Amino acid sequence: MCQFIMKYSVYELISKYSQFCPKTSENVTISHHLPQLTPIGILLSPPIYAPHLSLGVQYTRQLNVTHLKPRHCAHSRTMPLSLTSVFVAGCCLKLLLFSAYHSTDFEVHRNWMAITYHLPVREWYTNTVSEWTLDYPPFFAYFEWVLSHLCPASVVEDGALDLVAKGSYGMPTIAYQRITVIVSEILLFVACQWYVNSSVEDRQNLNTKGSHAGVTRKLSTIKESKEETEDADSSLSEHPELAATKTKPTAKLRAFAVASSVVLSPGLLIIDHIHFQYNGFMYGIMIASMVAARNGQPLLCGALFAILLCFKHIYLYLAPAYFVYLLRVVVIPGNSFKSLRINFRDTVLLGLIVVGTFTVCFGPFVAFGQLENLKSRLFPFSRGLTHAYWAPNFWALYSFADKVAVTVMKGRGAVSGGTRGIVGDVAFGVLPNVSPSTTFFLTLFYQLLGLGPLLMKPTYARFVGAITYCAYASFLFGWHVHEKAILMIIIPFTFVVLRDKRLLLVFIPLTISGYISLFPLIYTSAEFMVKILYTFAWFCMYFLWFNHRLVSDHRNSITTREFLLDRASFFYQMGFVPVVALSVILDGRPNMEFLGLMIMSVYSAIGVCGSFVAYSWLYMCEPGMWQ
Amino acid sequence: MPPRKRDKKSASPSPQPPSPKGKKRLKKKLPSSSDSPTRTSPLWDSPLGFFLSPFRPTTTQWGARYMYVSFALIIRAAVALGPYSGFQQPPMHGDFEAQRHWMEITTALPISKWYFYDLQWWGLDYPPLTAYHSWLCGVIGKYVNPEWFELDASRGCDAYGLKTFMRLTVLLSELLIYIPPVISFAKWTGKQYGYFPTDLSISAAAIIFQPALILVDHGHFQYNSVMLGLALLAFVNLNHQKYVVASFFFVASLCFKQMALYYSPVIFAFLLGLCVFPKINLRRFISIGVTVIVSFGVFFLPLILGGGMDQVKQCLIRVFPFGRGLWEDKVANFWCAGNTFFKFKLRYTSEQLQMYSLTLTLAAILPVMLIVFFNPKRKLIPWAFAACSWAFYLFSFQVHEKSVLVPLLPSTLLLATLDGNVISLVTWINNVAVFSMWPLLRRENLQLQYFVVLFLWNWLLGNFEPSRLWTATLPKSIFWRLVVIGFYVGMVALQVAEYLYPKVDRFPDLWVVGNVLLCAPCFALFWLYTLWNLWDKRGERA
Repeated sequence: MCQFIMKYSVYELISKYSQFCPKTSENVTISHHLPQLTPIGILLSPPIYAPHLSLGVQYTRQLNVTHLKPRHCAHSRTMPLSLTSVFVAGCCLKLLLFSAYHSTDFEVHRNWMAITYHLPVREWYTNTVSEWTLDYPPFFAYFEWVLSHLCPASVVEDGALDLVAKGSYGMPTIAYQRITVIVSEILLFVACQWYVNSSVEDRQNLNTKGSHAGVTRKLSTIKESKEETEDADSSLSEHPELAATKTKPTAKLRAFAVASSVVLSPGLLIIDHIHFQYNGFMYGIMIASMVAARNGQPLLCGALFAILLCFKHIYLYLAPAYFVYLLRVVVIPGNSFKSLRINFRDTVLLGLIVVGTFTVCFGPFVAFGQLENLKSRLFPFSRGLTHAYWAPNFWALYSFADKVAVTVMKGRGAVSGGTRGIVGDVAFGVLPNVSPSTTFFLTLFYQLLGLGPLLMKPTYARFVGAITYCAYASFLFGWHVHEKAILMIIIPFTFVVLRDKRLLLVFIPLTISGYISLFPLIYTSAEFMVKILYTFAWFCMYFLWFNHRLVSDHRNSITTREFLLDRASFFYQMGFVPVVALSVILDGRPNMEFLGLMIMSVYSAIGVCGSFVAYSWLYMCEPGMWQ
Repeated sequence: MPPRKRDKKSASPSPQPPSPKGKKRLKKKLPSSSDSPTRTSPLWDSPLGFFLSPFRPTTTQWGARYMYVSFALIIRAAVALGPYSGFQQPPMHGDFEAQRHWMEITTALPISKWYFYDLQWWGLDYPPLTAYHSWLCGVIGKYVNPEWFELDASRGCDAYGLKTFMRLTVLLSELLIYIPPVISFAKWTGKQYGYFPTDLSISAAAIIFQPALILVDHGHFQYNSVMLGLALLAFVNLNHQKYVVASFFFVASLCFKQMALYYSPVIFAFLLGLCVFPKINLRRFISIGVTVIVSFGVFFLPLILGGGMDQVKQCLIRVFPFGRGLWEDKVANFWCAGNTFFKFKLRYTSEQLQMYSLTLTLAAILPVMLIVFFNPKRKLIPWAFAACSWAFYLFSFQVHEKSVLVPLLPSTLLLATLDGNVISLVTWINNVAVFSMWPLLRRENLQLQYFVVLFLWNWLLGNFEPSRLWTATLPKSIFWRLVVIGFYVGMVALQVAEYLYPKVDRFPDLWVVGNVLLCAPCFALFWLYTLWNLWDKRGERA
């Protein structure tokens, strides 16, 4: 009897552990019968050992449904590529986040509602009842004015519109303001849906693979590997749908993947729906302007960007790219320099649009004679080089180097540096101090560098690439950069990432380091699981989707250099697991919180800076990618 | 093609599904239809199907699995941000305090005192596995912050970090114990009937997003998912014909929460049937018997070693509190609903009521046991467990409103099917169950979570799409259509009425009683439906 039970349990033990063997076809058949025994086994069984989605072939044979597939596929309809479902699902999650933590930005926006509700326009930018003074351009103030007038009576009673130094409010105010974020974000969904709907097969997709220069160069190295893959694929070709997935996905599907990845961005979830800001709709306007550029409506593009600038002036960082693009497309169109001539009609129109927008926005305040006041509100240079929490940029590395140098040289009588307040000035101990003009010129220099290629060939891809490049430059070298500005790089980047596999290799470390560096924004423990899991799910979903299905790889092979870089990037990504764990552990300990934050921001800064170097390389030296 | 089949079915002049004729005819068709590969899940055009459609071409579903498990956890974590039972409600607080208190006493006291310590303040009243689980969580929690679990000093502790920690233990327990067997169950069912792999993902996701469990475990705060997960592991192992392991997991489930007793008659009859039919298998019988005894022994061993048989006796007294009355609060079962018209508690003594309750329960579960005993087929597992546990919920003694989770689990497992009728009724009964917990959730200020999670699940299953209303959301037969529509109308009416008139002075319990009276008949009807299906499907080849 005992023997019998023993036999049973041993059998199960063996089968349990058979899952942990490397995956061979025999092993698959064993583990496939017995994954049910251990809960952990079920969760882990195939995924870890199935590095490609396309490993499905073996599984089909086991299931013995191979013969079913074509017929099944016969009536599988094509899904309409609509973001409505994404919006509804997102809404459910965002509604549940009502009870989550919100930062002081919530009080900031509440105060702005109160200011715009109670005061005449003349006093909007002079009121200092609360320390959270209005410091966004006037369109945003108008927006707050609209929100304050839509406020239901029950919310007003709750204290949503009290013009006081420190507001006291309850759930109704939170619910109302959170709902305004969700509703205003519809604009982002609309812009993204427009992007999907107006996508058409571009020229590049129709070209044959061989026409690309890279292929001929590497042809010899591909051949061997290609034969192998084709061998494996031969079984797939029997089934129409499986075979269909091997061909290039349509432009619309790719556009849908890009659009959904933007609207589901963990950055927007963390910043807008937990931390509390209104970035969603502003990125919506920005995306709409890019889509307008792609659809050959440069005037609309310019108008939308002008409106965007009047909502939030941080987008000024992208203005050089827009300026050069519009200059080359509207003002002096034409591809070769011989045929250059000025298009007066469109130039005047564009000028009227931009000037008109700015007049509507700033006109009243010019009339009140408050331009100086407005300027000091919008550009407060009194703040320090870095934010209290270092944004993962060049200055984070610089500050870190200074800290290390101070620690090393302490014994030799160096002054301890790095004194700072919340918005105070930063003084370095060893390295030279950085002035605002230094950061300004550095930013400008890199931005100008990125504008050269756009000036030569103002294609849509170049344009989006240049926006990304400008955002990179300003994020890395700008004065008092917030970690939230990382979205300004990631969002335009997403729109070009599917053009080439190498761009994806740059995109992955950027998004990982960028989004993870947002985690300290939400420092409360309750939201930890939400932010971690959401970001994880987003990474899994989009990196797999982009990598295995959508990215167009013109060359079918990678060089040794790329392979090594890819490995390095992989290990860098894995490094985030201990970094995040460390920051969580250090968080609770006295005197150690800042160490955790520093490790996090310096480690992310390596990723962002590294991706900038790689991106610059691709942007400058691979013209084929940007046609 | 599914539409054609449905047309035939609905064209046949048998309005009520529980009419034997219509069913028999269907039954003859079923083997061919379940073998037929052209059928796809009726949920394929729901938003859930849409979200999983990128995984449609691949035959491995691990990518899809990552997705729906991650998003299920995200939703749970987001629900967990809300308040919990007894949050800042002195003097007694609620279930959250009970669980925390158990972590406190199990880590601070020797085993011999666990079941005796200050019984007035949430004395431990679950079987030993809960105590060990509490001990494990308590040990980890004490490592994080000892103040949360200071003996006596920490009573009613509502520290911010404590909430996070406790919520995390629920989430991890569920991830490790509940979610894997759900996936495995859906997989097995799919393989059994030759479904398309995406359809398995759809059904597994639909089961995992079940709103009732999310709200009770992550909103109200309990560890039901552990008990249900262990029971599910038993079901899954039954599916895979590993009876010894199945009985071990079932005993574990029973030793976690006594509520798993609702399943025990079926599992007993099923295993006994397997030992008798087709021929008597003594070896199997003995090995199962020994496993059960040994596993009980293993789970109670620390108690015996720590405090002798007294401890075990005290544990049993605490676990089965017959002195606590026929039901708690207001629960949508036979007794509580009937009490509105016929005052049981006034007419009969507690002993008499216990007797009646026992008799009724036995009478209700006997047919299930007999059917399962004579037909121990794996295909019947969810139907049998559903029928048996609904009978318990409706007729047995000492039922909570949260006990509805127990019958709801096997009922929800029925979503792993391609039969649109079953799916629509299972969705409906889930909604009924969630609605039956509305008074509880409202008391705990979980209104937002209640509406969002309920909406999310129904929307995911496509219940809000007008184009699916007549084809998929509502069942095919006129009778069930009336019942389902009637319930939804009643539900909306009750909620609107309660919103407009929160307090009616003459009848303080008006809305709660209305809730009970609306839900109890629905549960009873669904019980009959599962019973009927069990009877009807008994002859089919497994």
